[in-house]
Amino acid sequence: MIGESRSAPRGGAMSVEEIERELARLRANEDGTLSLRASVLNLIVVTDEGSAEDVTRSVSELAGRYPSRAIVLICDPGESETRLDIGLSAFCNIRGGTGGTQVCAEQVTVHAEGPPAHHLESLAGPLLIPDLPTFLWYPGHFSPRSPEFAAMATLVDRVILDSAASRDAEVSLGELAGLIGEEGTPAVGDLQWVALSPWRTLLAELFGSPERAGALDEVYRVEVLYGPGGESRAHLLVGWLATTLGWRLRAATRLGARAGGGHRLHFLGPVGEVIVAMDPNSPDAKLRRVRLYSEELSFQVSRHRELREARATVMRGEDLIGERTVHLGTFDLGVLVGEELRYRGRDEVYEAALITAARILSR
Amino acid sequence: MTQTQAKARTLPDVLKDEARLPSIPEPAVIVIFGASGDLTARKLVPALYDLAQGRRLPMQFAIVGLSRTEMSHDEFRERLREALEKHRSGRFSDDVWESFSRGIFYLSGDSKKPETYRELKGFLGELDEERKTRGNRIFYLSASPSLFSTIVERLGEAGMNEGEEGGYARLVIEKPFGRDLASAKELNADIQRYFEEGQIYRIDHYLGKETVQNILALRFSNGIFEPVWNQHYVDHVQITVAEDLGVGTRGAFYEEAGALRDIVQNHVMQVLCLTAMEPPVAFDAESVREEKVKVLKAARPIPEGEVDQYAVRGQYASGWVWGEEVDGYREEEKVAPDSTTETYVALKVFVDNWRWAGTPFYIRTGKRLPKKATEIAIQFHPTPHTPFTREGTEGLEPNVLVVRVQPEEGISLKIGAKVPGSGFQVSSVNMDLVYGTAFLEEAPDAYQRLLLDLMLGDPTLFIRADEAEGAWRILEPVMRAWSGEREIPSYPAGTWGPEEADELLRRDGRRWRRP
Repeated sequence: MIGESRSAPRGGAMSVEEIERELARLRANEDGTLSLRASVLNLIVVTDEGSAEDVTRSVSELAGRYPSRAIVLICDPGESETRLDIGLSAFCNIRGGTGGTQVCAEQVTVHAEGPPAHHLESLAGPLLIPDLPTFLWYPGHFSPRSPEFAAMATLVDRVILDSAASRDAEVSLGELAGLIGEEGTPAVGDLQWVALSPWRTLLAELFGSPERAGALDEVYRVEVLYGPGGESRAHLLVGWLATTLGWRLRAATRLGARAGGGHRLHFLGPVGEVIVAMDPNSPDAKLRRVRLYSEELSFQVSRHRELREARATVMRGEDLIGERTVHLGTFDLGVLVGEELRYRGRDEVYEAALITAARILSR
Repeated sequence: MTQTQAKARTLPDVLKDEARLPSIPEPAVIVIFGASGDLTARKLVPALYDLAQGRRLPMQFAIVGLSRTEMSHDEFRERLREALEKHRSGRFSDDVWESFSRGIFYLSGDSKKPETYRELKGFLGELDEERKTRGNRIFYLSASPSLFSTIVERLGEAGMNEGEEGGYARLVIEKPFGRDLASAKELNADIQRYFEEGQIYRIDHYLGKETVQNILALRFSNGIFEPVWNQHYVDHVQITVAEDLGVGTRGAFYEEAGALRDIVQNHVMQVLCLTAMEPPVAFDAESVREEKVKVLKAARPIPEGEVDQYAVRGQYASGWVWGEEVDGYREEEKVAPDSTTETYVALKVFVDNWRWAGTPFYIRTGKRLPKKATEIAIQFHPTPHTPFTREGTEGLEPNVLVVRVQPEEGISLKIGAKVPGSGFQVSSVNMDLVYGTAFLEEAPDAYQRLLLDLMLGDPTLFIRADEAEGAWRILEPVMRAWSGEREIPSYPAGTWGPEEADELLRRDGRRWRRP
């Protein structure tokens, strides 16, 4: 795919009509033809000056997979002076090889300072393309208590967050769990949950054959090894296992630094106690290894060295009785957000896992 | 959650319910007959490798290649690895291959001999033990079509037409499904002697293409087209499956097949069915295939004595394609210098049902045409009356809706619009939507899609026996008439076919579109 980025020469304050006119002009080619606009969704991004460049790069990558109108809102509500600055650009790709059709996705970048930063919905709303689903993405720290969120939420079908963007997973997951319980909240997607999808598929598949399915009931110990930035992901994984397998949390002990940190959790499963050891000392991967022990077998999914591959194994004692190595996939920001853009409705499995994860961390 | 609920919902159960995560097929062994052939290394194993790499195959999965060539398991694996590295440059992982290839095995044997099947059966039993493949078997017939009936018979005699211990047995057959109606019927009868129709998967990779499936999506997920998709509004339909390539190294095969058997009987008939069929009640195997069969049944038989009024064939001579001078068909490798095999076919077909009565479907396919293109053009009736002057509407043509399958999947609609300026001049404008551009998801390879459906037990995109026979029935009179002819019209490579094809439409006051 060949692409080019086009920017409008002017900026500053513009009316909605001027923005629309200028965007149409950006689609005009040098030979007088007009590139197509293919749009499958609206994407609103709320970010700050520091992250703006990275976010814009991810949005332009996304434009290739999900042609959209992206509205990037860079805001600083702390400023006392009002400032509104508009930037327009289009990412035009040639589809269908040389001589193919130019297709453009658009980006409107709004720098808002002072009072307008508290009313982002008044800026984003008029710029949305009608009749298309609308996503709201917070690439950085997010709090449902932020001043603009309630009004923005009314504009959108789905909110995409990253529960690991905040340093404190307990606060982050707790707030998210509270948010999904509120009436009228749009569907919530979490990039940490997306990153767990291959892990969940591999774990489930370990128990896919009937001769091993019974071992699920016999699981008595789980070990999760995660690293810096992986706390949210690891707890969501345990939340998912617990809600899926009907384990009820009995006790959670936070281990001190001398004991290596992490959590030791006691669940009551359908047939007995299950201990979950959460070890935060992986030196590299955010999620390094998950092991489940049943009476006869042990099941493991681990990242394969520093590569993109993961290895899933089933052991009977020291004997390897099943193995597969697969691609774990890439976890680039654009890829994770792209995965979330595929879905519209509420993800009840995620919500149940989130509530359990938040409960674990609050103990 | 209660104890009972917890037991009922295991991790795999939950995943099956989760629309966001993919379905993983049951454990199985796929046995490929004719495994030393090109298809295995070029299409089947790369597709299975991609599925494995993408976490779409179960851990307990095995491939057993079978053919006469003497080879060890490791030699077979090495051969496949080389092909994969060649076709998957940049997407090949040593670690994934190591894991995947441990499930690849090879048996050399003559597929005509019963002892081969005794050995195969024993080997599959061992795999069930070692790799827990649970008695599920897929037999993929990638061997010469002349061996299909024998292989099926031997499988049946060896009791391998049923899975072991409650597992399944499925049989996959590559096109061509026979050479004519009689041989197709015979083949179907031979197979059905040992396998139930529900176990048989006739594969036409064309149906695995996303773009072909999109014809159904366009028709049945958009309410605006259906009301006008009939003889009241449609003047005629043109279906084009054009290739710019010649026969290349497939001369020997093509001499036997020709365009009618190679493309029209399967690919083109499938596109005709998808274009003309009634809405199925559900997107499942029986509902979809039932509607396709109804189209084939409704196709008016071509009268024996009037074949030349309905069908045209042609053969490419030398010419220029995309700036390159190319040989004629008779100069191609392994082609007879006096060959009368057709490389071009044009047909006029009527679908005699309520929806399409009196509306001709013009179909054409050919090699060495100016460009590669597959499209369905629905030409609507002209307006019954125009209030504008004749001079003002000179540039106006009837509406045409073109569904482009490849390249640049999309639709275009030709509509009349006013030319800016004083007076009232109306001209046709193409409204072009390349809807493939809206989704840049990498479409899975057709074989990947079909192999996965096969393992999941979904035959919707496979051909049913009566479909294959129905397509042959339509072409039977044409094949009979052409088999006795010594002359064949030619067309220069790089043109849109012989003059006779233009005449076919000209007689009806119409002309072919330029795709």
